[in-house]
Amino acid sequence: MVMRMLPRATTKPFYAALCVIALVFTGTGPAGAEQKPLQADEAFRLSATRTPDGTLALRWQIAPGTYLYRDSLKAKRAGASVALATGPGEEKDDPNFGPVEVYHRAAEATTAGLPGAGALDVSYQGCAEAGICYPVVNRQVDLASLRIEAAPPASFADTAPAASVPVALVASEAAPQGAEALFNGNFGLLLVAFLGFGLLLAFTPCVFPMLPILSGILAGGGTRPTPARGFALSGVYGLAMATAYGVLGIAAGWSGANLQAALQTTWALGLMAVLFLALALSMFGLFEMAMPAWLAARLPRGGLSPKEGGSLAGAGALGFASALVVGPCVTPPLAAAMLYAAQTGDAVRGGAALFMLGLGMAVPLVLVGTFGAQIMPRSGAWLSRIKQVCGVLFLGVAAVLAARLLPAPAGLALWGGLALGLGVFLGGLDRTIPGSAPPARLGKATGLVAIIYGATLIVGAAGGGDDPLRPLGALAGAPRVASAGVQDTRVSSPAALDAAFAAAQKEGRPVLVSFTAGWCTVCKSNEAVMAEPGLQSRLAQMPRIAADVTAYGEGERALMSRFSVVGPPTLFLLDASGREVPGSRHIGALTTADIEGLMAKAGL
Amino acid sequence: MRRRDFIRLAALSVLPPALALAGAKQALAQGIDVDAILRDPDAPTGGNPDGDVTIVAFLDYNCPFCKKSAPDLERIVNEDGHIRLIYKDWPILTEASVYGAQLALAAKFQGKYETVHNALMRIPGRKIPQEQMLKVVQGTDVDMARLDLDLKLHGAEISALLKRNLAQADSLGLQGTPTYLVGPLLASTLDYSSFKRAVAEARRRQAAEK
Repeated sequence: MVMRMLPRATTKPFYAALCVIALVFTGTGPAGAEQKPLQADEAFRLSATRTPDGTLALRWQIAPGTYLYRDSLKAKRAGASVALATGPGEEKDDPNFGPVEVYHRAAEATTAGLPGAGALDVSYQGCAEAGICYPVVNRQVDLASLRIEAAPPASFADTAPAASVPVALVASEAAPQGAEALFNGNFGLLLVAFLGFGLLLAFTPCVFPMLPILSGILAGGGTRPTPARGFALSGVYGLAMATAYGVLGIAAGWSGANLQAALQTTWALGLMAVLFLALALSMFGLFEMAMPAWLAARLPRGGLSPKEGGSLAGAGALGFASALVVGPCVTPPLAAAMLYAAQTGDAVRGGAALFMLGLGMAVPLVLVGTFGAQIMPRSGAWLSRIKQVCGVLFLGVAAVLAARLLPAPAGLALWGGLALGLGVFLGGLDRTIPGSAPPARLGKATGLVAIIYGATLIVGAAGGGDDPLRPLGALAGAPRVASAGVQDTRVSSPAALDAAFAAAQKEGRPVLVSFTAGWCTVCKSNEAVMAEPGLQSRLAQMPRIAADVTAYGEGERALMSRFSVVGPPTLFLLDASGREVPGSRHIGALTTADIEGLMAKAGL
Repeated sequence: MRRRDFIRLAALSVLPPALALAGAKQALAQGIDVDAILRDPDAPTGGNPDGDVTIVAFLDYNCPFCKKSAPDLERIVNEDGHIRLIYKDWPILTEASVYGAQLALAAKFQGKYETVHNALMRIPGRKIPQEQMLKVVQGTDVDMARLDLDLKLHGAEISALLKRNLAQADSLGLQGTPTYLVGPLLASTLDYSSFKRAVAEARRRQAAEK
């Protein structure tokens, strides 16, 4: 059975029996006498003629109460599409469907340059005003006789075997775009690619904490080991590190679970924030990044045996463990790789890919281990500077992660604190004496800027602000606080929404509910649209509830499923009985026209 | 209400006895397998599985009228509480409609048919391309890796179901989307109050048949 668009024959006898009784339930009165909507081939009658110059003209007779979409008129010859010239249709602008051009009563399309024989496949589609859309109609025009015949099956008639969801799109959130091609390539290419990724990662500050660990192993004996011994030790260390990643890859491949979702949970975000904080503190020299003593003591034969430099087993154990220590630092690429592994559901492939990633990361470490510090730039004050810069970066990453777990103003305050701290460390509060060198003064100036910015952020946060670029916007007359009477209560659970709704209901007007989230940039631009002067004053009369789903906890999930909200930004009106006003839902970016429409629905 | 509220509810004179399992033969004689329409084990269902009225919804994910009436259908099913809803994906309007139906039917294997269905029905418009459909589905809590796998594993099943739906719509002589079979009645676009009346009328007729 192919997707037949229409009953071939005239109306089936059965259908007559089917419609013995036509009931019109609504009070349209005389409309009750109206016929049922026509079948598509009754609604649209196609004919073809040739003009003297050979142009083929297709004409449709369109039954009253039905219409054809201009953009649906299509023609094909031998599988290749043929351009049709069509006249402008009537603009039909239904807020639900967007502006479209339709033809009523009649339509015409012309095409020139067709041969005098053969067949032209024509397809078209339309709807009846009564509220039904007809299937695509396919007809064949015999170019010699100009007779119209029922066409062979429509283009998409034979449902193609399940179209697979492209993996690239599934993973698009995390996987680097360019990597996709490599993922699908052959196995060897995949391994080389991941080795390369690992090498790149080795030049990020992520690998920094490993250097002190490795040098601890190498310098275990107090003297520098021979290059051979150094190579062996650092090689084992690197292999063990790569193995740790390989194990992760195998686990990801096995689980096939939605790792991306798992990485977005409160726990995962919190844990990563804490780890980054620890990394940052270690960069500032608060403690040395090394194995905890209790763990080191349990390592086989003591990883840092004083006599013989590090033992191979100790180096291996440390390598395995330190891969896990820096794990969070390489989370984004690692998550992408693990997602890939999870999607393939292929543990071997996933494991091998991540093993190569670890190996790539280990290459510079092995070089350092073998040739010693000669190939490393001499340590000195500059190194501690670099470590401090890395520390600040790590703190920033920790703040980004933590901010996603906190209410928006609290996140802003966190940034403020970070900026303040940075300012102090830059010397913003140090005393400059008349003889201070320019670099010190520059540091102080930068520090002061950071301090003032940080303080501003904290003040803004206290005032309910959440925009790092306009921290005082909430205080300085931003719309929702400044305009009296605007109810923009923020809720994040069904119970809170009910309470807010009950409070807003006192005004007896429909309530605008908008789902938003801190990370939702479209929501921000929507708020900007609503703040436009022309709309703001009228909008101010509409009670508003903002459902904040930034955190995506249990309450937020319940709230979203209650209103079948897929994600922010989603807006709709609730009527006095708490029901969604039909047709009031908007998803995505808003225009002023959308808001006008909403206000009209709300009776404003 | 701007739309001219013209509703046609034609009585499906064959269906009531079939529902009572008495006139199935008659229906079969006319090439309609009533049981296949109402009890296709693969067809996604919603509402109350033990409901006394069955609504069969023939829908397309690029059908504006389907999208218009979808919230009202959802509401009547939820509020009535005794409606059994059967979804018949009938992709007849665009090629992307087939894709959307495949996504939704694949999501059924992880119990998320209605999630995907509702998400797709909420994209306004009549020419939504595949990419946009996929994006919207990615925005739901559907496990995309699993969906992909299910599409591969159950692709043939899904295609077979879609072809069955087509054959059923054809045997009923349906004109287009949306078509709702409300008990023994047949209708196209309905709003909430018309759904309500149709369901009440279906109950009345079913009671009269007994």
